[in-house]
Order: sequence, then C-alpha cells, then structure tokens
Amino acid sequence: MQEIVRAKKRKKFSFTPYLFIAPHVILFIIFFLIPMFYGIYASFTKWNLFTDPTFIGLDNYKTILTNTESTFYRQFWNGLKNTIIFVIICVPFQIIIPLFIALLLDKKPKGRNVFQGILYMPTLFSITSVTLTWLFIFNRSLGLFNNLFGTDINWYGEQPYAWMTIVITTLWWGIGGNLIIYVAALSGIDKSVLEAADLDGARGLKRFWYITIPAIKFPLAYTIIVSVIAQFNIYGQPLIITGGGPNESTYVLLMYIRNLAFGTGNSVAGMASAMATCLGLIIGIISIGQLILLRKRSD
Amino acid sequence: MKTRNKFNDGYQVHNSRKKESWIAFFILCIIVLIALVPLFWIIISSFKVDAEINQAGGFMFLPKTWTLQNYKSILSFSNKQLPVFNWFFNSIIVSGSHTVAAVMIYAMSAYAYAKLEFKGRDTIFLGIMFLSSFPAITNIIPLYKIMHVFGWLNELIALIVPGLAGVLNIFLIRQFMYAIPNVILESARIDGAKEWTIFSRIVLPNCKPILIAVGLFTFTGSWNDFLWPSIAINNIDRLTLTAGLQLAKGVYGNQVARMCTIATIAIIPMIILYIFTQKYFVKGISLNSGVKG
Repeated sequence: MQEIVRAKKRKKFSFTPYLFIAPHVILFIIFFLIPMFYGIYASFTKWNLFTDPTFIGLDNYKTILTNTESTFYRQFWNGLKNTIIFVIICVPFQIIIPLFIALLLDKKPKGRNVFQGILYMPTLFSITSVTLTWLFIFNRSLGLFNNLFGTDINWYGEQPYAWMTIVITTLWWGIGGNLIIYVAALSGIDKSVLEAADLDGARGLKRFWYITIPAIKFPLAYTIIVSVIAQFNIYGQPLIITGGGPNESTYVLLMYIRNLAFGTGNSVAGMASAMATCLGLIIGIISIGQLILLRKRSD
Repeated sequence: MKTRNKFNDGYQVHNSRKKESWIAFFILCIIVLIALVPLFWIIISSFKVDAEINQAGGFMFLPKTWTLQNYKSILSFSNKQLPVFNWFFNSIIVSGSHTVAAVMIYAMSAYAYAKLEFKGRDTIFLGIMFLSSFPAITNIIPLYKIMHVFGWLNELIALIVPGLAGVLNIFLIRQFMYAIPNVILESARIDGAKEWTIFSRIVLPNCKPILIAVGLFTFTGSWNDFLWPSIAINNIDRLTLTAGLQLAKGVYGNQVARMCTIATIAIIPMIILYIFTQKYFVKGISLNSGVKG
C-alpha cells in the first residue's frame, strides 16, 4: 500500500505525461485554436488574405445582414436559404430510409450482413467520384435514367430536378452510417418486450410507434442532429453537379464563402469570415442541442 | 385445452415471423439492386468506346465492343491534363502518413488522459473537448494564411499535418483504454518499466481493435477530403485523387466513357479496402455513436 502511495507521489512530479500529450496539444493550438479565433477576429476586419487585416468593427455583419443593396447581402441570404432548403429536404430521407432498411434487416433475413455491407459501401467513396457517377446517370441525352424510363428531363438544369439530383446523390452516398447505428439500436431492444407486445396483439405500425421508436429514441435523436450538422456543410454535390445553377438556386453558402475568400479576383476574406462565423453560429447552436442530449443519455 | 391454444399461438407467431423474414429479404433484394445499378453501370461504361455511348438511339447497358482504351489513355503518363497517376500517388502518401501519425499521436494522448496522473489532466482534456466542439467552418480561411506563413501552400504536408488536430478519436481510444486493468500497468511500473515501454508493449497491443477502427476512419476521411486540398493546392501535379477528379468534368465533359473510367479508378481501391476491413467499420460506427450492438 505504501509502495503505491509512494509511486503515486513520485509520478506527480514526473514530466513524462506532458510529453505524451504535447504533440497533440501543440497541433491543436496551431491548427485549430489559432485559426478559430483568428477567423472570428477576421470577420471584424477588411482583409485580402495577404496583407494585414484592418479592424472595421461590425461593418461586415451590417453589410451581409442588413444592406439590401450589397451583393454580399444577396449572396449570404441566397446561400443560407439554399443550404437550409437542402437540409430540410435531405435530412428526413436520411433518417427514414435507413430506418426502414434497418427494420427489414431486423427481421433477420438471409444475407443480412451482405445487404448491410453493400448499402454502407458508398459512404467510403469520395464525393467527387460519387458525383461523377450520378452526373452520368442523370445526363440528359446519354444518362441511364432518361433512357431507361423514356423521359427527357433536364436533371441538373431545371428545378425541382436540380435539387432532386443533389438529394438522391447525397442519399446514395450517405445513408450507411445511420443504417448501421439503427441496426445496432434495434438489435439492442429487449426481445421479451417485443414478444409481449406480439402476444398482446400489437403488431405492425402500432408496435413500431409505441415500442420500437421509444426504445431507440436516443440513437434516433443523435443521428438527426449529426445529420443536420453534416448537411449544413454541403459543398461538393452542388459544386460539381449543378455548379450552383439553375439561376444560383442551388448555390449554397459554403460555395459563396469559398469564392469570396479564394476565388478569382480580389479576396474579401473578412466578409467571407463574417459569413462563415454566422454559419458556424447556426451549426454551434445545433451542436449545443447535441451535447445536452448526450449528457441526458449518460445520466 | 389452454396449453394447446398457447402452443398454437406460439406456432403462428413463429410462422408469421418466418414469412416476415422472407418479405424483408425480397424488399432488400430490390433496394440493394437499385443501389448497385449506378455502380455497375459506370464500371461497365468504362469499357465502352465513346462512339457507342454517343450514338443516337444506341443506348444499351452492355458494351458491344469491350475496350481498355479509356484506361490506357487516362493512366498514361503523358496525360498532362489529368495526371491521375500523380494524384493516386499523392493520395497514398497523404492518407498513409496522415493515418500513421494520427493513430500514434492520438493513442499517446489517450494513454496519458486515461492512465497517467498529472496536474491539470482533466482540465486540459475537458477544455480541448469543449473547444473542439466549436464548428470548424471559420478555421479554413486563417488556416490558409498559416500555410502561407509556413510556406506549405502547394505542398503535400499541408494536407497531412493540420488534420492531426482532431479530438474525437482521442476520446474514443481513451474510452477503450479504461478497460485495461491498472494492476497490469502498476506491476510493470514496479518492475521498473518506463512509461514509454508500458505504452508501446502493453497498452498499444491491447487496443488493436479501436486503433484499427480509428485508423480506417482516418484513412478514408483523409482520402476523401475534398474542400481543403482544393483550397491548399493550386499545382495540378500536387492534387489528391479526390480533389483532382473535380477537373474531370471540365476536361472530359463530353467523353462520358472517360468520366466513368476515372470515377471507377477512384472507387475501386475503396471497394477493395472495404472488403477486407468491413467488420472494423461496423464496430467503429457503433463505438462512435455510443450504441451498443
């Protein structure tokens, strides 16, 4: 016992533990903390990325939030609107489709793991290869869809088809993660509860609504929040599939931010930082919701 | 009489469950088929000649003449517009070294936070966890400036190092390390083993499953990163495969077979990786979300 006490005492003065955490802490400060605070500071400045930023107070925020004459105002609100439209269309499908498939897998059909494995696979493909694939599927004259169904839809040049193309591509790419979470959650439900419900005649939708959903409500809430946050960061799909068109109706906020900071022409990095900070605030509020939820679960 | 009824009920439930399982099987077959069609179609189309695809009214699923010409011209070293070979090589270097460094650094930190006692341990860990939950969306513009100051713009190191600042994986490894009994570590310490020896000889081998899962997620995350490489790299020869493919639409806009080929080239390595490592992905996601499967 004394040994251990002494050993503990000795450890207190040891420098070793700090050496173990030092590499990560240093990297964290240089590549996360400094950029984060600098980015917020930059949103209060006029800055072209290469000279020193000049402090201009709240001017950038005034411009993007209230100056209806400014192109930045138009870009910010159009970008935010389109981003939110995408989140609202995409997230419900991103929950319902994998949940439906997970319920099927929970019936323990033959080849269960093979089905799950195949449906998860596209998650590992890069956004560029996924979008190239779907560009071809929805190509107006050469594409699989129009040829298979004898339609002549201008998929990425007309609304609402442009959004449909982006959403379908996103769903094909990204339902796998939620699917695996739901499969795990469903298999964790106490089987005796389900059997009791069976004998009481609770089947089908009734059983799903009153027993299954409450039993998986935490994983469900977790996936909803994580999906919302992930989809707020949408960028690659509209960039490659529609290029933001038609008429900038799929131009999302991250595309504007990127163009303002790194596009051709003069960089307006301060303005871009203000837009990014606003988007960050929105995502942050949702993250806080996630944190509260996770705390509740661990209680 | 009563017993018999019960038996009958049980039998019916069993029977209907079997039926349900078959219905599920058929619906799943259809869903998986629909999900696989795009994949098969671009792979098959990558073996078609362009004339066959472009023919008016000549739509068909399978090619009439199979050709490797698309692969030859894309993978050729003289393909300066889309140096796919370079990109592939860059991606392997970037994702490979990023993953090795990440797993090492994360495991070291996780070990200290889980098993060592030192002043400020919990404060530092909770502080980092809290700060890292801030959305990183504002970071990308200043990060570019930092790369400029370091002279890392257009260098592969810009794609390897900044991503090492992540925190979530440290948390996951730390959770896993708690399961290692302290007694083993203490007795090694009493035997005079150095912390580094304990870490590398006892702790690391015991954390293999989580380290593999973290490594795989890190690797695929780095391989598929799109926004950052397309900002930090302007030199076409230094791009990664994921970022470089963005240029394919501009170059091969009308040569659909070539686009399919290039997409196939990007997809195949991931399928191969996935076939060998599937179970770790499933385990990793369950750990990530905290659901016990």
